[in-house]
Amino acid sequence: MIKQYVLGAMTALTVVAASTASIAAEFPKKDLQGIIMWGAGGATDTVARAITPMVEKQLGKDVVLVNKSGGTGAISTAYVASRKSDGYTVLYGAENPQLHKVLNLSKIDYTDFYPVNILAHGIAVIVTNNDQPWNSLKELVADAQKRPGEIKMGSTGPGGLPHVVGSLLQSVTDYEVTSVPYGGEGPGLTALLGGHVDFMPAGLSAAAEHIKAGRLKVLAVVNDSELSALKGVAPITKDFPGFKKYLPWGPFYGVWVKRDTPDAVKAKLVAAYKEGAKSPKFIKMMQGRGNIMMNISGDEADAFLKKWQSITAWVLHEAGATKSSPADFGISKP
Amino acid sequence: MENPISYFFMSWSDPYLLLMTAAGTFAGVYVGAIPGLSVTMAVSILISFTFSWDTNEALALMVGVYMGGVYGGSRTAILLNIPCAPSAIATAIDGYPLAKRGEAGTAIGVATVMSFIGGLVGILVLAVAAPLVSEFALMFAPRDYLLLAVIGILLVGSLSGESLAKGVFAGALGVIIGMVGLDPLTAEGRFTFDSITMMGGIHYVTAMIGFFGVAEALAQLHHLETPAIKQKLERITPKWSVVKRYIPLSIRTSFIGVFIGALPGTGGDIAALMAYDHAKRSVKDPSRKFGEGAMEGLVAPESANNAAVGGAYIPMLTLGIPGDAVTAVFIGALYIHGLNPGPMLMIETPHLFWFTVGALMLANVFMLIFGLTGVRLFIKLVECPRAILVPLILILSVVGTYAIQNNVVDVYWMLGFGIFGYFLKIYGYQVGPVILGVILGPLMDVSYRRAIISTRESFGDFMLEMVTNPISALLSAALVFLVVSQTPMYKRWTNKRRSV
Repeated sequence: MIKQYVLGAMTALTVVAASTASIAAEFPKKDLQGIIMWGAGGATDTVARAITPMVEKQLGKDVVLVNKSGGTGAISTAYVASRKSDGYTVLYGAENPQLHKVLNLSKIDYTDFYPVNILAHGIAVIVTNNDQPWNSLKELVADAQKRPGEIKMGSTGPGGLPHVVGSLLQSVTDYEVTSVPYGGEGPGLTALLGGHVDFMPAGLSAAAEHIKAGRLKVLAVVNDSELSALKGVAPITKDFPGFKKYLPWGPFYGVWVKRDTPDAVKAKLVAAYKEGAKSPKFIKMMQGRGNIMMNISGDEADAFLKKWQSITAWVLHEAGATKSSPADFGISKP
Repeated sequence: MENPISYFFMSWSDPYLLLMTAAGTFAGVYVGAIPGLSVTMAVSILISFTFSWDTNEALALMVGVYMGGVYGGSRTAILLNIPCAPSAIATAIDGYPLAKRGEAGTAIGVATVMSFIGGLVGILVLAVAAPLVSEFALMFAPRDYLLLAVIGILLVGSLSGESLAKGVFAGALGVIIGMVGLDPLTAEGRFTFDSITMMGGIHYVTAMIGFFGVAEALAQLHHLETPAIKQKLERITPKWSVVKRYIPLSIRTSFIGVFIGALPGTGGDIAALMAYDHAKRSVKDPSRKFGEGAMEGLVAPESANNAAVGGAYIPMLTLGIPGDAVTAVFIGALYIHGLNPGPMLMIETPHLFWFTVGALMLANVFMLIFGLTGVRLFIKLVECPRAILVPLILILSVVGTYAIQNNVVDVYWMLGFGIFGYFLKIYGYQVGPVILGVILGPLMDVSYRRAIISTRESFGDFMLEMVTNPISALLSAALVFLVVSQTPMYKRWTNKRRSV
């Protein structure tokens, strides 16, 4: 009886193992589905649509792209997590899910997924329009300390880039501004151009063209050194050396599959995306938008994600902007 | 700008580009006429599809789809009372009564010509005054968007049919539907009941397909046996004398369309509704009563929604700021093709501006051609027995709703709205105000809160800015006038003046 049972279990195991091996060998047998975390026309969407044709060449199959926006990405992570762990559903996402736990938006974050590739990260800049008197972040902060709450900062809601950069800065130096939330970086910068807000931390990619045209001026680059694209603009660490411990910090874009996808499938996907991200056309587009190429995967990418989450979640928590403590989810202090 | 004229005519003279624009416009006209298949969706699919193409070819195709798609929604709005795009909602109000009289051919003809005129005005403003208009659009503060939305919501009065109370109820229902999901400012869940699927909210197209498409299909089941109305089809292209009569109104509403389209927070849907309202208020002796088949009620929204296309391109080409959802996708497409949409676009790549203007103009011409041909066949399709047509509409509604966000929950909502909308119709409630609420509710919500946050939550300062800022003061005055002009006191006063 027991013998039979053991035998049966062993046969089953062998069959499972064999089929997993064959799944991996044949992967991909059919077209893949790529779930994009944000809507059509956004930064994540643009990155996804630019990298995918390069990867399709490597995989020999199509990746059918689908936008599943909503809940700042929580809908798409929940969807991909509910699919089979066979590597046929890939998630194109940005940094947002790393804050979903502390903002009580979702119980799923990137620990549930395997980073196939973190393609690039953006750099944040603090911009203002030409009507404002400030020429450096230091002058802005001094002004904000002089008249607390009177200066308006464009933001994109809790956990968004402006909010995080603002909170990081507040943990270094004390100042008070009124934060006016907009529907995204684009609408926020539009309001800044129209003078409805006074300054805004934003991704360089969203602000670059307005800076180049001289309609917005950069007060600081959220980086520890000057950027070649923005000669003469001081890094934030020049006036606020305390900021250094948070760097490099910025929004990022990447591709994920479920954590328990078979290793051989992961390896195939990693290889395809690694090669695709080396395409000169893709690199040119990404750098043109002010991004820094990363092209990392696996453990290296996991370490990056962990550090990002730990810094950001704790700073937001200390600024009183979280619903739950990062400690509740085992997110260690930086 | 070495030679704008040669760039303008690039898509006209290159046979391949000409073909692409024509194909795009043709596809757009028919995609626009399928419930749920939106122009935004079609254009974003084309991005991946045209990735390896030359930029101009890709743009020509996408421009065509955009122009054709905005127009396409009007056909089903007129023939079936099902606006397949939000910008065609207003078209159904007077278009469908015309079809019921057997005048669908004339209605489609007029709608097409007016769309063409609207498109023309939009493109002209884009070509001549783009930088000026975009600077003006930037000056709109959150409180101005609030005022626009409040002026828009007054339309409930125009759309409620027999009873204002029922209209207000329907509008409020729409506002509540628009609230579901994460609060856009604080990401706090509203009416989500801790469900992840509710966090994404209810897409307004879901509500639209349900309340218009499915509810109308169900209502038509009552008339399964009645034969379809025979449409008079002798003349589709309207007589010049007819066109001439509506040109002043068409041009006025086109300007409303261009401007509302150029504002980064509003698009063709709001433009068309406001244009309808403008027609209803300003036309003293319409061809028939509004709501019963007035041509003016068709001219105004059709001119405005196509004018809004040119309008939406204004901030996009001059500043890299999208004027609506479709131009947002266009910006992504330009990035992928290695261009940098922004304020430098016109300086670094001036040809792109003139190429787009030229392609839009070409697409507008093709829209006129495809709009006036193939109408007979289209009407024949609609004249097929209801027992075939109704299931077909239901299937398209389901497919279209699923395609919005690839979310099956949207389909459940849509079917729920359809059944609820059917009962609303039976009890004399209009569904128009519901959609108005879904579109304008969130705009009022975020605009008011942004405005009040900007004044550091001081209501006094907020009210003060309403009258001290020139744009706000103008809009406030318009709002006050619109309300006062409906009071019995004002009507008595104007009557007295007229008799004196």
